[in-house]
Amino acid sequence: MASPAEPIVRLEGVRHVYGPHGGKGVEALRGVSLAFYAGEHVAIIGPNGSGKSTLAKHLNALLLPTEGDVWVKGWNTRDPRHWRDVRSTVGMVFQNPDAQLVATVVEEDVAFGPENLGVPRDELRARVDWALDVVDMQAYRFRPPHLLSGGQKQRVAIAGVIAMRPQVLVLDEATAMLDPLGRRDVLRTVEHLNREAGMTIVAITHFMEEAALADRVVVMHAGQVVLDGPPREVFRQRERLQAWGLDVPHVTELAARLHALDPAFPPDVLSIEELVETACQVWAGQEKAL
Amino acid sequence: MDEFELLRYVTVGQYIPTGSLIHRLDPRFKLAAFAVLVGAVTFTGSYLGNAVLLVLIVGLVFLSRVPLRYVLSGLRPALPVLLLLAALQILLYTPDFTRGTNCTTLFQFWIIHSTTCGVKLAIVSAARFVELLMLTSLLTLTTTTTELTHGIERLFAPLQQRFNFPAHELALIVTITLRFVPTFAEELERIVKAQVSRGADLGQRGRLRFIQQTRALLPMLVPLFLGALRRAEELILAMEARCYMGGKGRTRLIELHSTRQDVVALFVAVLAAATVLLVPWPW
Amino acid sequence: MSEVVVEVRGLEHTYMRGTPMEAPSLKGVDFDVRRGETVALLGHTGCGKSTLVQHLNGLLRPQKGRVRVLEYDLNDPKVDVKALRRRVALLFQNPEAQLFERYVGDDVAFGPRQLGLSREEVRARVREALEAVGLGFEAFKDRLTFTLSGGEKRRVALAGVLALRPEILVLDEPLAGLDPAGRRHLVELIRRLKSEWGLTLILVSHDLEDVVLLADRCFVMADGRVVLSGTPREIFSQPPARLAEFGLQPPAVTAAVHALAEAGLGVRRDCLTVDEAVSEIARALGMGGKPWTSSSCCAT
Repeated sequence: MASPAEPIVRLEGVRHVYGPHGGKGVEALRGVSLAFYAGEHVAIIGPNGSGKSTLAKHLNALLLPTEGDVWVKGWNTRDPRHWRDVRSTVGMVFQNPDAQLVATVVEEDVAFGPENLGVPRDELRARVDWALDVVDMQAYRFRPPHLLSGGQKQRVAIAGVIAMRPQVLVLDEATAMLDPLGRRDVLRTVEHLNREAGMTIVAITHFMEEAALADRVVVMHAGQVVLDGPPREVFRQRERLQAWGLDVPHVTELAARLHALDPAFPPDVLSIEELVETACQVWAGQEKAL
Repeated sequence: MDEFELLRYVTVGQYIPTGSLIHRLDPRFKLAAFAVLVGAVTFTGSYLGNAVLLVLIVGLVFLSRVPLRYVLSGLRPALPVLLLLAALQILLYTPDFTRGTNCTTLFQFWIIHSTTCGVKLAIVSAARFVELLMLTSLLTLTTTTTELTHGIERLFAPLQQRFNFPAHELALIVTITLRFVPTFAEELERIVKAQVSRGADLGQRGRLRFIQQTRALLPMLVPLFLGALRRAEELILAMEARCYMGGKGRTRLIELHSTRQDVVALFVAVLAAATVLLVPWPW
Repeated sequence: MSEVVVEVRGLEHTYMRGTPMEAPSLKGVDFDVRRGETVALLGHTGCGKSTLVQHLNGLLRPQKGRVRVLEYDLNDPKVDVKALRRRVALLFQNPEAQLFERYVGDDVAFGPRQLGLSREEVRARVREALEAVGLGFEAFKDRLTFTLSGGEKRRVALAGVLALRPEILVLDEPLAGLDPAGRRHLVELIRRLKSEWGLTLILVSHDLEDVVLLADRCFVMADGRVVLSGTPREIFSQPPARLAEFGLQPPAVTAAVHALAEAGLGVRRDCLTVDEAVSEIARALGMGGKPWTSSSCCAT
């Protein structure tokens, strides 16, 4: 993967303590250094309370580090003069579909972000049209949000964020409260944004299958980054992941168990397509051996 | 019987799209006309004046193509109170005879003193109530909440410039409130059902009934408030994440256009109000 | 066979009946559960499964059709729903949001106290319920509820309904929102409730997830009707396209064996667990034994 020299978002030794300054609060991040590059699709996984949500909120200045710095395209998030730039560069979709739509009509909700940025009206309309197209919600533009399903609400929320034309889209467990259909639609939308629009995706998730779709997986535990690499490498560490309260995708576990039976079977399979392919290769290999 | 289906009773913000003339009016003019008519209803004390207004309002309902029955359905819960009020006014209202009012006593017994004025007051206030309710329903049934808030914001915008009146903030507060009314109704329903399912009893009786009943509500109120607070916090974060920093420098997707129809509508409302208020109706 | 404790016949339900927003939710549902059975109710959001279970403890009354639960006839307007609700407990989705007392012990005691039990009895029930969900009575009864983790809160909520000592327990999306460790924990807990408490369990889920494997029978709902029923093995081994029709996604393991079978590998399509799939694929590939041969396998 081509990684340009300059990351879009860079964290340097970020510590974050909730509660009284200096007093004893809860240390949610204990020295995190990370960089996110243009066009990457990164998944962040970690058990509950590992600090991954806190980390996400540092990426667009919703939270500021207690120690250390976060840089977005060269702006330090500590500088309030650049919050507008930071937040229009790094958009964010939250977990609860019911708590992030502001307006009483879908299209006006999508317009909320660009309105705040002072985008002129003609362009505003074009952006709303484009964003609703991308998430495939044109047909619902005049509906009130409370009559939409969870997955539809999340897609509207994504439209509202991408209408600000951000370079990075952060999803803070955006699929956690959805059913499989809603989850599938949201994931498709995100894939599309990454592949077609080249948007950088940072997705926090509990679903290992979702993480396996990313280019890179960051594992958080107890406020620290404990693993960072391509999903294939990360999910090879089954014992360590399970010890942290995490897991590997079912397909990967299947392959790992087959590998234990026969080393000819590779242990690091990530998708069903791959599993089929490998199984066929292994089978063909044995056929030849006969 | 669906004892827990709460959403049905939330009629605020229920919009019925029929595409009628009333629906298409510019919300600024619609709001202004509404205010004028509400004023007329409030200050009319005569039978005939109210009759004129009632006819006008029913006419507007027909024009809006919303079923009259549906507009009136909001009356049902208020009916007992309305009847009780009317009975009290008829039976107990004693006009000040020294001021030369032309009331005649219908009958008098113990503290009960029924006069023609009492009857008139009862009928007129009932009529007022019905008219106000129909007007408000008509406004919300034919105007989307966004139109409403845009109307409010633009109507008061001159005040914001001159006197720093928070028109934008007001409109935003109204929008968010309307946005979350159905959500909270759903949430309340879910909480009530959940607590009833784990043994909560909503209809307790006993010597300290009041205290017990208040206490019986805690299982509903605590989760509702905690949920509301959490949601508010999430909403603030979501708004901040979308660069909301107050009304300054914002642009708007929706532009309001007024046409001749709007001017005519407002004119009709003013004319009706003037007729009702200025003509000395005989009774 | 044991007695039928839930019997639903031709049940229909429409929300907001008589308003312009009318929305039919159930369009004639037949459903039954026997004592001691574990039943899973599956389907995507809006298929009517939540509406159905709300009839089981009288939160909703039948508009059309019949509902009988234990000896209570829900069609009878005078039926004692309070008595019914003590015996049929319903735990809603994300039940941790319903905790309202400061202390864990008080919250679990809420149900038993409403029953008017004596102090000692309430205490005994709280102890029993907390131990049942794997939270020690002494360690947890005086903990502040808001300091608990999400998974712990969910178990406290579960203890709250177990303290009513119900005969039938309905769990709506018991695993939603938990992390992998929390999920494993709760599946184990439900397994114990089934085997040790002998409860009649009704699991409601939109995911064909591990917990569904605990069921003796599954009902798949779509658009207000039961469209498929059978054992988990029968349901899970349906072709993925058929499940997708009903808005369900096959579990990864079954999807994997299906894909392998489609590619021509001679594996059984009804593997439910990773264990089963491993031995099935190993057998088909001839691992640690004679290779399995077929002319059609992996033709491409």
